Order: sequence, then C-alpha cells, then structure tokens
Amino acid sequence: MAKQKITSSSTAEYFSKNLQQVGFSSPTKAVLTTLKEAIDNSLDACEDEGILPELYIEIEKVGAGTIKNTDLIRIKVEDNGPGLNIEDVPKVFGEYLASSKFGRGRCSRGQQGIGISAATTWAQLTSAKGARIITKTKTMRQAVSCLVEVDVKNNKGNLKDKKTISWDRSHGVSVEFVLDGRIQLQGEGGLITYLTGTALVNPHLNLRYKLLDQSVVKVDRVSDKCPDIPNAVEPHPHTMKLGEFIAHSHLFGKATVATFLKKGFSRITDNTFQEFVKNGMDKKFLTQSVDKTTDAQFKDVFGAIHKTELMSPSTRSVMIIGEETFSKSVRRLGEVDFFSVVTRKPTICDFKPVAIEIAVARLKTAQKVEGDDSPPVQVLRFANRVPLQFDKSACAMVKAIETVNWRSYGIPQPKNSLPLGPYVIAVSLVSPFIKFKNASKETVDASDELVEEIRRALIQAGQRLSRHIKKEHREADLEEKLRHIEQFCPILVDCLCRITKATEKRKKAATEGLVKLLGRDVNAAKKELDEALKHHKEAHAKGKIQIVEKEKAKSEDGEEELKPPHPEDSDVIPEAEEAPLKAKTEKPASKAKKKAVAKSKEKMKEKEV
Amino acid sequence: MREDTIPKLSKDLCNRMLTDLENARRPVLEAIKCSLDNSNYNPKVGYLTPGNKMVRSELNVASVQKMSRAIFILEILLRNIETGAVNTKRELYYISKGEVKHNPELRPLDFGDQSESDSIIDFICEMMECYREDLNCYANDRGGQTYSNQLVVTETLPDGGKAVVDLSTLGTSPFQPKNRPQSLALKAKKKIDFCLVVESEGTANTFVTNGFCRRNNAILLGAQGVPSNAVRGWCKLIQDQLKVPIYFFGDLDAYTLQNIFRTLKAGSAASLIRNSDFSAPDVRFLGVLPEDIKKYDLADYPVKENDLQEARALKKASDALKNDPFFKDKKNKGLSKILEWLLKNKRRCEQQSYFTVDPRDPIMPEKIILEKIKRGDFI
Repeated sequence: MAKQKITSSSTAEYFSKNLQQVGFSSPTKAVLTTLKEAIDNSLDACEDEGILPELYIEIEKVGAGTIKNTDLIRIKVEDNGPGLNIEDVPKVFGEYLASSKFGRGRCSRGQQGIGISAATTWAQLTSAKGARIITKTKTMRQAVSCLVEVDVKNNKGNLKDKKTISWDRSHGVSVEFVLDGRIQLQGEGGLITYLTGTALVNPHLNLRYKLLDQSVVKVDRVSDKCPDIPNAVEPHPHTMKLGEFIAHSHLFGKATVATFLKKGFSRITDNTFQEFVKNGMDKKFLTQSVDKTTDAQFKDVFGAIHKTELMSPSTRSVMIIGEETFSKSVRRLGEVDFFSVVTRKPTICDFKPVAIEIAVARLKTAQKVEGDDSPPVQVLRFANRVPLQFDKSACAMVKAIETVNWRSYGIPQPKNSLPLGPYVIAVSLVSPFIKFKNASKETVDASDELVEEIRRALIQAGQRLSRHIKKEHREADLEEKLRHIEQFCPILVDCLCRITKATEKRKKAATEGLVKLLGRDVNAAKKELDEALKHHKEAHAKGKIQIVEKEKAKSEDGEEELKPPHPEDSDVIPEAEEAPLKAKTEKPASKAKKKAVAKSKEKMKEKEV
Repeated sequence: MREDTIPKLSKDLCNRMLTDLENARRPVLEAIKCSLDNSNYNPKVGYLTPGNKMVRSELNVASVQKMSRAIFILEILLRNIETGAVNTKRELYYISKGEVKHNPELRPLDFGDQSESDSIIDFICEMMECYREDLNCYANDRGGQTYSNQLVVTETLPDGGKAVVDLSTLGTSPFQPKNRPQSLALKAKKKIDFCLVVESEGTANTFVTNGFCRRNNAILLGAQGVPSNAVRGWCKLIQDQLKVPIYFFGDLDAYTLQNIFRTLKAGSAASLIRNSDFSAPDVRFLGVLPEDIKKYDLADYPVKENDLQEARALKKASDALKNDPFFKDKKNKGLSKILEWLLKNKRRCEQQSYFTVDPRDPIMPEKIILEKIKRGDFI
C-alpha cells in the first residue's frame, strides 16, 4: 500500500464534486432539479402542518451564464407553509443529510436531506451566490431575509446578509436561487411537464407560475382536503440486516429483548415468540435485557426470526390520492376527452408497502391522430407524488405499461412498446421505501413484484377505458355502414343495369332488394352498438369511466367549473383574464348517431322513390 | 379463351347478381383462391394447379364497396373489348380516375392508388378464370430477349395478318417475345439442339456478342430476373412447339431457385389459373449447382444474414421445404436438396463466377455450360 496521507472529506465536499449524482448532470437538469427540490420541500412542509399549499413560482433569465451555452437563471419558489425558524435555515439549505424526514418511513417527497443543499451548492458554484431565503413563522413578528451558503469543507450552512423585513404574509418561506442553467419548457424533461404533473398528483395544490416572459398561469386546487400523511409503522424484521438489527436494539437499553422485539418491530407478538423458539431461539433471551445481550446471541435471535414466517408488513403507512380526487385532478391535464382512474388497495411488494394509482386519459387533439402512425402515449411517472422525468426506459412504471396488451382495449401498440395515440398514462407510486435506481431519484427499480402490481392497475384502467373506446368503434362502424349503403347501392345497381341493359322495373326492384339486404346488416350493427352503449352506461354509472363533455355540460348549469387553463397551451391566460373558460357543450355521441341513422334512412327512402 | 366469351360471362354474372338483388338475396362472387395453400403439384402435369378452395365475396355492407368497384372496372374492360382497345393496369387506373372526375356520383369508387385498382382487376380475372390479357389489359413486354440463328417466328396480328421474323436476320439484336404468346408460331430452319435461359440479361448479351449463337444451334434468351408472363409463355411455346431441351442457368441462391426457376418451371401460386400456359415444366436447372463450386473452384461467398432481403429469402426457403408442393414432391428432390444445402451452408454463388475459372478465356463459361449439357450435369 502506498504511504500516502489518508484524508477525510465532508459529505458536502463529496456532493459538491458529484452533483451529477443528485440531478445536476446538465444545465437543463440543474434548473429542473432546483425547482423540484424547492417545491418538494414546500409541499412536505405544508402537509406536515395540515396547510393547504399555495405556491408561487417565478423563473426568468437574468443574464448570460458563466458556463458555456448557459443562461443565468433566477428561480423563485414561495410557499404559505409554516415557515422555518432562522436557526434551522442554514441546516435545511446549507447542510447535507440534515433532514426531518431521514429514515422515518413516511411517504414524504424528500427523504434524505440532500436535494435542496445540492441546489444551493450548484448556485454557489456557478453564480458565486447561495440561496436567498425569506422566512416567517406564525410566532415571528417580522420576516427574516438572509443568504445561505454551503461551507463545503465542514458540511455546514453559513448565514449572510441577515436582516428583518416586512412581508405581506403571516407565514411561509420564499427561496430564490440564481444559477447557471438552461430552460426547457416542453417535452419530457420540461418545466411545464413537471408543473402539470405536480398539479395532477397534488389535487389540494393552488399553483401560480410565471415562466420567462409568459403571463402568470394559475392552476386551482380541486380538493380542499389536505392529505393525511399516515404515520410511519415500525420496521418489519424481515427487511433488516443483522447490523441494523443490533444497532436498532441499542435504542432500547435496559428493556428486555421481548420488549425490544415487540415495540421495535411490526408483526411480532407473543404468539410469534413461540415460533421463534421452535426455530432455534433460546427462550431465556426473551427475558434478558438488551444491554446484556451479546452480538452472538443477537445473531441467534435474528436467525430464528428470519426462519419464521411472519405476516407481511402493514400497509397503513402508505397514502393514496383516491379515485374521486384523482378524477378531478386529471381534468387539469389539459383538454381531456375521457379518462379512467384506478386506485389499487395498498399492498406489499418486495416486503414494502406500496400503493399504485393510475389515470389513463385521452386528450382532445386537433387532428385525428389515433392509429398506427400516431406518436407514443405520454407517460407521467410519480414516486411519492414527485414527477420523474428522466431515464424512463428502465423504470418499473414504463416496463409495466409496455407489458400490458393495450390493443385489446382498442389502443394501438407496437410489440413490447408503449401504446400509441393522444393518451396520457399517469402512474403514481406511493411508498415509504421506494427503491430508486440512483440518488437523483429518476427511475424506480423494476422488481418483478412491483411491475406486476403496476401492471394489474394498468389493466384495470385499460378495461374501464375500453368500454368507451368500444362504444366509439361501434358508433364509427355503424356510421361507416350507413355511409356505404348510401354511397354504393345506387352505383352498383346502375352499373349492373347498364351491363345487362335491364329495364327500369328491374332497376327499381333491385334497388329495393339491396336496401332491404343491407338494412339487415345495419340492424345487426345497431344491435352491437346498443350492447356497447349498455356496457358503457353501466361503467359510467359506476364511475369507472368519465366523459368530460357531460361534466362540462353540468358546469354550465351553475356547478363549479373544474378545468383550469391548460398550461401547455401557448396562449396562456393572462392574470387579468383568469375567468374560467367557457365549456363547449357537445351533444352526447349516442344522440348524434341516432340522428345520423334517421337522416340516412330518410335519404334512402328518397332514393327509392 | 374466345373473344366473345368474356362479354357473355360478364353479362351472365351481372344478370345473376341483379336477379339476386331483385329477390333480396345476397349475391355471391366466387373466385379461385390463388395462394400456396390452395396449390397442388402433380409431377405428371408439371405445374402448380388450383385446389378446391374458393374465395367467396358475399354482398354485405362491408363488401359493397369492393363489389361496386369490381362491376365499375368490369364495365370499362367490357367497353375495351367491344372497341378493341387495350390498356395497361396503370392506364386503367387513370381511366377510372377520369370516369370519376367526369361523373361526381362515382366519387365513392375513386381509387386511392394503383394497387387498389390492380387488386380489383386481379379479382375480376380470378372470378372469370381468365388472363388479364383476355380482358385487353396488357403488361409491358419485359425480359425474354431471344437470340438464335435457326428460329423463325410467325406472329398473327390483331387484324389477322401474319408477320414472319427470322431471328438470324436480326444480327445481335434480340427478338422480344410478347405477353400473349398464343399469337406466335415457331419454326426451326435447322435442327435446334437446345435452348438456354440465362438469368442475367447482361450475361446473355455477353454470350451472344462472344459468338454463342454462331457456334451453337441453339436458342439463347435472357430471363431478366423473375420471369414475366412473356418469358414464361415464350418458354412454354418453345417447349411445346419445338420440343427442344431447355436449360436454365442462374445464380446459386434461394431467391433464384424459388422465385425465378420455380416460377419458370411450374408457375406461381399467385397465377394458379394461368400456370398451364405460363410455365415450362421441362426446363432443367443447369447451374450453378453446389457441386460446381468445388469442381470448378468457383468464387462463392457467405449469405449476409443481416441483409434483410437475403435473410427473407432463406426464411422463405425453409418455409418452401415445408409447405411448397413443388419442392415437397419427390420428382423435384434434387432441387429441394439444393435448398437444403443453401440453408445449411449459408453460401451463395453467382452465375458470373464461371468467369473466374479461366479469366483470360472469354468463352470459358460457354465451354463449361456445353460440357455440363453433354455430361448431363443438371437437375
């Protein structure tokens, strides 16, 4: 071994040199990750205190960046959260692995306390300035403004330029970064995609944002209920390794091993002790104090626990958005035609509780792009209600989508690929322990169990959607048949009569016969349509499928307008014109078809005459 | 088929359809199913013949468009037969476009592209069990350029006149056989020993320029790839009227064997109804044979499996061994053995490789061919 001096580095030093590992691998990603981290922190803080979040976001270019091909970008995120005490500010924004959420086993967005400090580091490295913070708690008379910088050598945050200011809100935090980056608005890694996704899985969020020189876009909340974040449950013994198990025991000091096992873990009861004994644990260990138990004895206990079959961990610690609220939120995706939403019961995958929620929506498009030539569907992925925007191909959610046979639901799909068409498939995975593939939390590891659970949810959503698509196909089929009769019958009879030099009498009889013949086909098609309509009606009544036109019609009758302006529209609604959009009322499809049938019948009669 | 048969058949068909309609019965159009699964091969007959399978098109809402289009095109074809006009498929496509343009009521029949009108013309042929030439619809005469110093062709012209062509008077220019070889009669001025069909038109040209026809009492013709109706009908004519042995000389690869040679010898599944007039069952495969590679130390090379076309040909070859009645028949065991060899060794050898045997002798390939014929070294 070389005789070189061994030095220790601080966590901050490590991350400042490896920011690409936490989402700062390119100027474009730097802007998105900074915004994402700030919003995650705000939403977590609001939810912890039961506050309905109101966020205001501003992103603008303020000059040229110091790195080649970058701009100097100002990112500001303001929330109405509980605010931070000034002594916590340097820890939150300037110290790595300082978190209120680390290892708590809750479904919070942030987990380790790395992201926002990394954002401060990036800003500091590229613009030589840290994060500008304004904070005010309920108990503070005035807000405090300060600049936080990361002391990379010591992994500490330093406060600078601290002053009290008057702020027009009772509590909240405003964080502002100035950094080198590039702005991408649309597309998979775009800011607007991120904001739309965030709004979708946070129905209780009131969001206003101003990007570059565009007008302010407002997305109203569709739920007034702040989600209850379930408390963490004790860890399941089968998810632990021996070292963790022994370290965990130290929290229990003089308590007996029995108490340690019962209180320190879930799914261990007096009955399971008997099983442990059967599987080789010495019974006397149970009454022994934790302090006096040696590592070798712990190893015996641990071995016996792992030999024993235990109930799966509880799913109480996961939260769901719920089909009703999710349905309202889907309409915020844009001009949605119809959609279905599925919330699966929380379950256990790879010994971890997970809850899957799916929304599949068809967007209204200017052109008819459904078919084998249309582009792939848009996939929105969420892990603990945070949009995932990069490296989608390896993600469990995309893999699950690709394994479903969407063709059977009427959606075109090339083999082993994403389906095609103007659809959005949103997959939300909530779990206190999500297994990400990397520290920047961009891809969820595709374990077989998890992929299967997501797949089941997708199948349910697809089945629900297929009832509507089938109905549409049947309607189109009937329409096509009617059109065919109208167009081709006279031509066929005319041609035949010309070739055979038939009389007018024969021509008339043949026309009548042909109409009669093809009328039978139409009747059969009508029957199929009626059947499809019946199934569709049932599905709609049970809320399995939602048609947006009908909801809109309701809103004209005075009910609350649910659809906010679509943030992806180029002509975003200016602040002054934030009045709800007037919904166009369209006649229900079945009525239109009945009219078409009647009209065609009339035409046929005319021709016969 | 007699000239007045098609109009009569058509009128009968239309009358039947009209009567069905008057009685509110669904008219049914039936055509022979032209596909490999409906192909039979009897070595005594020598070409692929249709089985019993029929394609039935019953009039319903889904098929009314196809039927209307078929009757619409039939009307145009009948007009052509009546006036004696002829057209190619592409011309018929434009004629139909013109009809639609001048009569807006016909707009629903409009063809999006030529493939749509082509399939309707094929459907009519299958329904009437006739050649498209019987419907005055001709393809351009492609391939089959023929050279001989002994052959005399007499063509019956549409006006009943006769035209006599002595091929020896054409110099190095070829005679171009017609797509409707039924109007040609062949005669040999002097005894003709054999007929050689060369896959490559260019190589056939080289042979002629180097004096093949001067040295041999033979007919030489270039197939120009997959044989057209003209080539197929012409070979059949040579076989039947001159009764000379015909040898095919082409590449040693799966494509040549299945798509070119099989079509020449036994017709194709797509043309089941006209194979009787458009195949020459006596034609023999002279080479390149697998054993020639060793015998003459020919330059061959491996099949590029990443080449889509070659990979497809190999896949087709393995399918042919399983499903093609021609290759499955005992009589053609020699040919199926070559296919097996190609599949196993994944190598190919081109006809021009005979030039490697003696690069300084321009007539070396001719010598090898004659030697092979003499020795009976063919399949």
